[in-house]
Formats: sequence, structure tokens, C-alpha cells
Amino acid sequence: MKKLFFTLCLSVIYLGGFSQIKPNETLVFAASYEVSGMMTNIAQVTMRTEPMNTAKKSYLHLSLEVATFAKWDSFFKIRDLYESYVDPTSLKPSLYKRNVFEGGYFKTEKYTFLPDGKSLTSVSKRMKKPEVTKNVKIGSTTRDVVSMVYKLRTVDFSKVKVGQAVPFVIVFDAKEYPVSVKLLGKETVSAGNLGKKECYKLSIGAKTNKLKGADKNIIWLSTDSKHIPCMIKFSIPVGVGQLTLSRATGI
Amino acid sequence: MIITTIVFMILGIILTILPMGTIAFLPVGIAVILSILAVIKSKESQKKFPKILLFISIVILLAAIGKDVLVKDKVTVDQQFIKEKEDSKQEAQKDLEELEGL
Repeated sequence: MKKLFFTLCLSVIYLGGFSQIKPNETLVFAASYEVSGMMTNIAQVTMRTEPMNTAKKSYLHLSLEVATFAKWDSFFKIRDLYESYVDPTSLKPSLYKRNVFEGGYFKTEKYTFLPDGKSLTSVSKRMKKPEVTKNVKIGSTTRDVVSMVYKLRTVDFSKVKVGQAVPFVIVFDAKEYPVSVKLLGKETVSAGNLGKKECYKLSIGAKTNKLKGADKNIIWLSTDSKHIPCMIKFSIPVGVGQLTLSRATGI
Repeated sequence: MIITTIVFMILGIILTILPMGTIAFLPVGIAVILSILAVIKSKESQKKFPKILLFISIVILLAAIGKDVLVKDKVTVDQQFIKEKEDSKQEAQKDLEELEGL
């Protein structure tokens, strides 16, 4: 599921400022995995945006939840929560949190993006091992994966040429990963309660062993101004799967 | 053929119990076909066991269909997970306020 999430998050990146991400938006996906040539539904992935205020500032709380369907809970229960607190306009992250529970394995991770914009403090804990704190140097454009998901949606892809690849950097597991997103063209796909949507077909590539194959990790973003992720296909070393949008509200 | 039918039948039972969706149809379907062939090819005096296999295969097939139709993909309302999310938000608020003070 970690790899699935990584793929999902890598499925969403670029620069620009095309549309604004609104609070109180909910996107629900059905995640399925290929077993013996057939896709089997395993989990629900929910992406939410909510406003969050402190005494001094306003933030947008971006969250991504992964929960196995009830029929799987007895065999392999997953309850993952990935969160990012970002500036509502620039979507620049201030805080990233990851809380993973997968079949008895658990891990927590927190990145605090320091105001200098060049480093973050990572605090992680895995199972019963002691907490590990690290200071990680990052580039000025490096983001956490959740804020990347939303940042991608603000890109004006009408200005990107087919075949054009754009490099990015994300931080995951306290390491920076270069990522490229290539526009493959347009396709119409099913988008749950939104019906059929014309989408930009984007290929995600990363210099990591978490993804496999060329142009086998694909995201379809609607061509309208909302840039809703309608479908994601991923290929990882242990198999292939996909996320299909089943419900979108508050968009 | 009888042994192969039993193997596919057992595989079908396992996959029907596991939450593997429609995958169970494959071994169960093969078990049904093989048991029909076993009934046809058996001598009149030896048809009883293949008929039992055919009956069991059909029952498993119906169970697999029933499970696929009736068991919907739903996420359990997990109170512990809901509480963890709330706790995480509260902790985040404190962390952000600390960060703003740097």
C-alpha cells in the first residue's frame, strides 16, 4: 500500500497556477489490484481538503486516507492517513504527517518544513523502534507527496506539449526523489458520479525502485479547470493496480 | 479427471472464502465443467461420486455468485481511526503554532 500511495502521489506534479484548490472537496476512489489477471477491489482512497486556522495563519488541510474494504479487514487491515498543511494559495507545505497501519505494521512520520525553505525536520517512528529525528536539506521547490498531488491540479496543461516531460522533486521517507511527468495526450475515461470526462493522460516517472516500467504509471486528470484525478494506473515491482474515481463532492 | 475436479473445487472454496472478488469463478467454473464431463464419461455404475462432485461444485458456484452480488465494497466505520484523525489534527495545530513562532 505504501508503494500504491507513492505511485498515487507521484501521479501528480508540476508547476504553475491554473486553478485554485477549494476547501471541503472530497474525492473517493476504489483501489483495485490485479490478481491472476483480474482486478480485485481492495480499498477505498479518500482525498479531502479542509480549512485550518491557527491564531496567526490560515492553512489548507489536505488529507489522503486509505482504508481496506470491510471484507479485507480480517485478512489485511489497512488504515493509512497522509496529511499536508499548506498555504491555501501557493500550496507550499508547512507540515506533513504520515500515519501508516498495514496489517500489524505501523509507522508514523512527520516533516516540519522550516521557514528557511531549505530544510525540514523529519521525525519518524516504526513499530517498537525508537523515534528517529533527522534534519534533511531540501531544494526550494521540494514538496511532500500530498501537496504535490494538489499542486499538479493547478497546472495549465493546455500549455504543455504532448511528449513534454517536466522534472520535479518530492520528499518521501526523508529522501528527495526526482520525478518527471510526461503528457501523453488526451483520453475520455469514466469518472464516477461525474460521468465520462475528457482527461489529460500523464505518465509518471521516478528514479526509484518503487515504480516499474516506462509509461506504466499513468494518471488521468480531467481537462476542465478542476483537473480532477479520474483514474490512476500503477505498476510496482509486486504487481499492477488502479484507482478509479467513484465519487466527487464539493468540487 | 476426478482428482483434478477436486483440486479445482478446493481452490474454488478457498477463493470463495477469501475476499478475492470474481477470481473464484475461474476454478469453480472449471470444477463444474470437469465434474459434468466426469458424470458423462463415467460408467453407469460409477456415476454416483461424479454427481456428488457436480452438486458440490454447483453449490460453491452459487456461493461465489451470491457473495459477489451481496457483499458490497464498503469501509467499516472505524471509531479508533476517526479518533486518530481528530488527534492528529489537534497535534498539527500545535505544531503549526510552534512553527509560526520560529
